[in-house]
Amino acid sequence: MSKAKKSILCWALLSPFLIVVLFPYATMLSTALKQEDEIFTFERTWLPRDFYLGNFAELMFERGFGQALGNSLIISVGATLLSLAVAIPAAYALTRMRVPGEGALTNYLLITQMISPIVLILGLFRMFAYFGLINSLFSVIIAHSAFFTAFAVWMLKSYFATIPQDLEEAAWLDGASRFSAFIRVFLPLCLPGVVVTSIFTFVNSWNEYAMSLTLLRDVAQQTAPVKIAFLTGTLYQIEWHLIMAATLIASVPVAIVFASIQRYLIGGMSLGAVK
Amino acid sequence: MWALLLVAPCLLLSISVIGYPIFDVLRMSLFDISRIGVVRDFAGLENFTKTFADPVFLQTAWQTLIWTVAVVGGTILVSIPIALILHEDFYGRTIARTIVLLPWAISLAMTAVVWRYVVNGDFGTLNMTLSALGLPVGNYPWLADARVAFLIEILVGILVSVPFTVTILLGGLTSIPSTLYEASAIDGASPFNSFRHITMPLLWPFMQIAIVLNVIYVFNSFPIIWIMTNGGPSNRTDILITYVYKQAFAFGKLGNAAAGSVIMFAALLGFAIIYLYLTRSRGANSDV
Repeated sequence: MSKAKKSILCWALLSPFLIVVLFPYATMLSTALKQEDEIFTFERTWLPRDFYLGNFAELMFERGFGQALGNSLIISVGATLLSLAVAIPAAYALTRMRVPGEGALTNYLLITQMISPIVLILGLFRMFAYFGLINSLFSVIIAHSAFFTAFAVWMLKSYFATIPQDLEEAAWLDGASRFSAFIRVFLPLCLPGVVVTSIFTFVNSWNEYAMSLTLLRDVAQQTAPVKIAFLTGTLYQIEWHLIMAATLIASVPVAIVFASIQRYLIGGMSLGAVK
Repeated sequence: MWALLLVAPCLLLSISVIGYPIFDVLRMSLFDISRIGVVRDFAGLENFTKTFADPVFLQTAWQTLIWTVAVVGGTILVSIPIALILHEDFYGRTIARTIVLLPWAISLAMTAVVWRYVVNGDFGTLNMTLSALGLPVGNYPWLADARVAFLIEILVGILVSVPFTVTILLGGLTSIPSTLYEASAIDGASPFNSFRHITMPLLWPFMQIAIVLNVIYVFNSFPIIWIMTNGGPSNRTDILITYVYKQAFAFGKLGNAAAGSVIMFAALLGFAIIYLYLTRSRGANSDV
């Protein structure tokens, strides 16, 4: 079979699934560009009457969605930085040094990754309440990093293991300390792995719903996913045109970033999960 | 010594934020807890017997089983052919891969919100499209009937689980050396035979991992059901995780919620041990 024929066949076989995947995006785009009255009319079409951009402006300036995006950004950046700060040293120690109780430690990390935050949400809520951190973005940053760190360690470990140790040893011979060899030689070499891990952590934190929903009770602290879900549940008539505009703003940039690292994920994930 | 110091911050964060709540939930499940969370007398297994006596809990546990088996089974069935196709070399493969992985990039909460609109009876895009195609759906309210709503939630669950599963399976397919296929082709094996005798056995370990991890994720999945139906109508779409959440944050039955959490935690620990066992035995094999 020629490659052209095979391509047509492959696309044809994939198309039912691809349509289901793209259907919500088409819905978001179509609805976000419509004016309110157009959604509730009897004769409805996919194409908006005119490409109306007012929903985005209303959302950002009148509905406080800009603030929700800001909260999400603070939490995601904070959680990414904190998990990297603890995961990089741990992953380095686990790949390059003899860690006492290494097996128990990696198993523990793996198990924490499997426990859903919601199973522990009661305990989490009580703990943060005890410290007076309910309604504080800081609490969500800590909670997110704790739950996403295990995965970061896992990913980083599989990248770190691919870097030959000779290079660092050469630097030590030249008189570099272990720390400066780590900073000057090791870290630049595994930068791609660190970048992929941080993007993945960022996306996970950006998308997280249950912990943000529970720990942030105040409307002003809501993250983007919580705010969007909140908009669907509070009003008698749900303002879908605004909600779809919001999902579009919160999803599309993340989807683009995620798409750019998907090649690395296929390699790193299966290494991390299976080996 | 240095190694421990490097591992310490990671461990400290994990033990204080995950380890302590595990302890707290275990403790709460064994005590009488007031609505506002004050721990009163030791109650033994009373919270558990109360929870098991709750018909909604039993119904929810059954629904959790259906939900998990249906979503994981469906995901595996859909993911195998998709992974096999995406492993082929064809024009636009990168684009196809990107689209397949797309649902992974979006918050489950937002996926749920968008699908809730898509299947809305009066102005959802599903009915609009089906009507345009000439199907007599009218303004059928897809989420009003619990059975239909649960089915739709299962389909959305499958949709969001496929990207991760395909990723693992693609990793597995990449690891199969192409020389095996060439050798079997020389021996006159048909494509079906080489699929059955080479691809399936070598992919099986990856499939096991994908199944166990999916069971864990799906069993824990919260936003789809919470946002699309909130467990309704009349608890018919609730699963354990939404049940526990409602007990804790809507009804203030903290004892029940803690007991439910501990039951879920025990199940998860069981899954995690299966996962460790599977990866451990694989690791041992690859050392030989």
